[in-house]
Amino acid sequence: MAATSGAATTKTTASSITVWLQVDAQSGWPDLVAAANQQFQSDHPGTTVNVQYQNWGDHLQKFDATLAGGGGPDVIEMGNTEMTKYMAAGAFAPLDRSSFDNSATWLKGLAASGAFGGKTYGVPYYAGSRVVTYRTDLFKKAGINKLPATTAEYTADSKKLLAKNSQKGFSPLYIAGTDWYVAMGFVFDYGGGIATQVSGKWKGLLSSKKSIAGLTAYKSFYLANSRASKTTDETHPNPYDVYAQGQAASMIGPSWFTCCVGKKYTASTAQFVMPGHVKGQAIPGFLGGSDLAVPVTSGNKSLASDWIKDFTSTASEKGLQAKGNIPNATNLLGTSVNERAAARSWFVPTAKHWVDVENGNILRNMLAQILTGKLTIQQAASSASDNIASVLNQP
Amino acid sequence: MAAAAETTLIRSRRRRRFWNRTLQASIPYGLIVPVLVVIGVILGYPLYWLVKLSTQRYGLFELIRHQGVSVGLDNYRSVLHDQIFWHTLLRTVVFTVVNVSLTMVAGMAIALLLVRVSAVVRVLVTSGLVLVWSMPVVVAVQIFYWMTNFQNGIVNYVLTQLRIGDFFQHDWYATTFSQLSLVTVLIVWGALPFVVITLYAGLAQVPHDLVEAAEVDGARPWRVFRDITLPILRPILLILTSLSIIWDFGVFTQPFLLIGPSKITSGNYLMSVYLFEEGYFKSDFGRGATISILMLLMVAALSVAYVRKMVRIGDEP
Repeated sequence: MAATSGAATTKTTASSITVWLQVDAQSGWPDLVAAANQQFQSDHPGTTVNVQYQNWGDHLQKFDATLAGGGGPDVIEMGNTEMTKYMAAGAFAPLDRSSFDNSATWLKGLAASGAFGGKTYGVPYYAGSRVVTYRTDLFKKAGINKLPATTAEYTADSKKLLAKNSQKGFSPLYIAGTDWYVAMGFVFDYGGGIATQVSGKWKGLLSSKKSIAGLTAYKSFYLANSRASKTTDETHPNPYDVYAQGQAASMIGPSWFTCCVGKKYTASTAQFVMPGHVKGQAIPGFLGGSDLAVPVTSGNKSLASDWIKDFTSTASEKGLQAKGNIPNATNLLGTSVNERAAARSWFVPTAKHWVDVENGNILRNMLAQILTGKLTIQQAASSASDNIASVLNQP
Repeated sequence: MAAAAETTLIRSRRRRRFWNRTLQASIPYGLIVPVLVVIGVILGYPLYWLVKLSTQRYGLFELIRHQGVSVGLDNYRSVLHDQIFWHTLLRTVVFTVVNVSLTMVAGMAIALLLVRVSAVVRVLVTSGLVLVWSMPVVVAVQIFYWMTNFQNGIVNYVLTQLRIGDFFQHDWYATTFSQLSLVTVLIVWGALPFVVITLYAGLAQVPHDLVEAAEVDGARPWRVFRDITLPILRPILLILTSLSIIWDFGVFTQPFLLIGPSKITSGNYLMSVYLFEEGYFKSDFGRGATISILMLLMVAALSVAYVRKMVRIGDEP
């Protein structure tokens, strides 16, 4: 406690602030980071910005260690599903929402992930939806003149693609078996859900009739379209690596997947919105995103907040949009495939312990059980549903 | 007077002798004080905190405030009532038995082989072993992962080419058994160099004339091995087995990285992984400390044989 109050006096003399961003910024938009730093430094001469890039896999463990031992960042990028647990524990300093660009029109889902008990702790940074990246040449060769408008049409097109591409292991649409972002899209498309709060208690929804229908549809869609491992996640291997090796005609993922399809296929790569099972409706996509927050352990809270202002300025957000991301405010939204896909979206339950569900791989394990046939869909879904409820209802 | 003076003299002499003796007796203790202080600071202080942490509710909320809430033995109660704990313990015990047995049997076999082969082969095998030894675990895990890759791993390719079966897109990570078998291969592979080289050194101590005499008496190789080689190697075997048990029981890097964080579930936990998931992923540091103390007690119990043997070896002239 003493450390936080005493720290406020040092803010004007700080010679540097430390910012933890995810590697996405390093590989995708280092120029925007540099621009924000430049703006910040011209406002605060003599203060340097030390940007340290982190990985999604272990950044929370590292952050926990700095909360205990000090030496942590002044600004940290958090996944929007990770925020609640930390806000509830009081890990972040409250921010003045009105001081940030476009804060009146922030994307609702993203703004909600950074708010707790009526205060703002996370500034929306950017969002991303999931779209289909595909090989125009292969689709043309297979005689597909119109992009699929339903999942059933997709499966029919896959048969045509398979007929023209008979090499073993070729996926018409590459989906990693335990990619729960895709699988839950099917669940939400059929009106199901993951969990809901009933009079203060979390109740699992995966074993509901509608969710089972969605999981059943996912299983048959997966089996018809993807030759990926039934037990692997969406980063082992990266879908774009499989695509770049010519082993897939299409893949589902963030729109920035075009970055890494390989020189050979860059010209013949395009994107469209993944259809749902009803014609004219996109499949609900996971609205992933990041927030920027200031840890309570920071000794330079106002400088940190100023840097966030620079990094989420209208100009910076437009830059992010140009790189294929969804900007943080509705007044900036355009009509790119990514932004259209975000029209129907779903989000994880906003529960303090949700991150434990993710880290415990409950959904991934359920999907592996379903796809390998180790358990029936009903069995796997019921056990996952109970499991999720008990994790979310922890004190 | 004279008598009185004499008794005083004797008394003072006695007293001096007493002090001398006390001083002499305390010198060894004085000499180990620095060591005790260092051990106390390096081991004792963290251990004190670990025990304290295990009696507290210490989550993210408490971490930020640097202040835990004392809950007595609640953490122990909750861990010992956790079915996952017992399942994990059983799995880890079986895993340890399998790993240690394979390590010791294969290590012994290769060491015996080393005695028989020509000098050139011996140098080649030993260099190979040393190379294995020098490879960092994380690098080894990554290479194993590539080799067993689903999409284009070399293992699937070679097995298919050898016509052992159709291993195209065989998923080595599909079942817990398969996952832990891969981890076992990786661990045994990494543990062999130390065991083989130590046993090979031990085999050099087996007196040649003793073996020859037994052979002249008509003993078969198995008999020679059982009645001469093994008894002589016993102390070394005991130490190697004890150390292997301690290492394999607490192994973390190989299972965690090879199976991969996205496939770790309570169905494939080993003890250290369970500890890591409970303590760090769930930010329940009090429970994590409890599990780590329980593990410490188990390893300590397992180490008794090792420590006793070490003490006895030290006592031998």
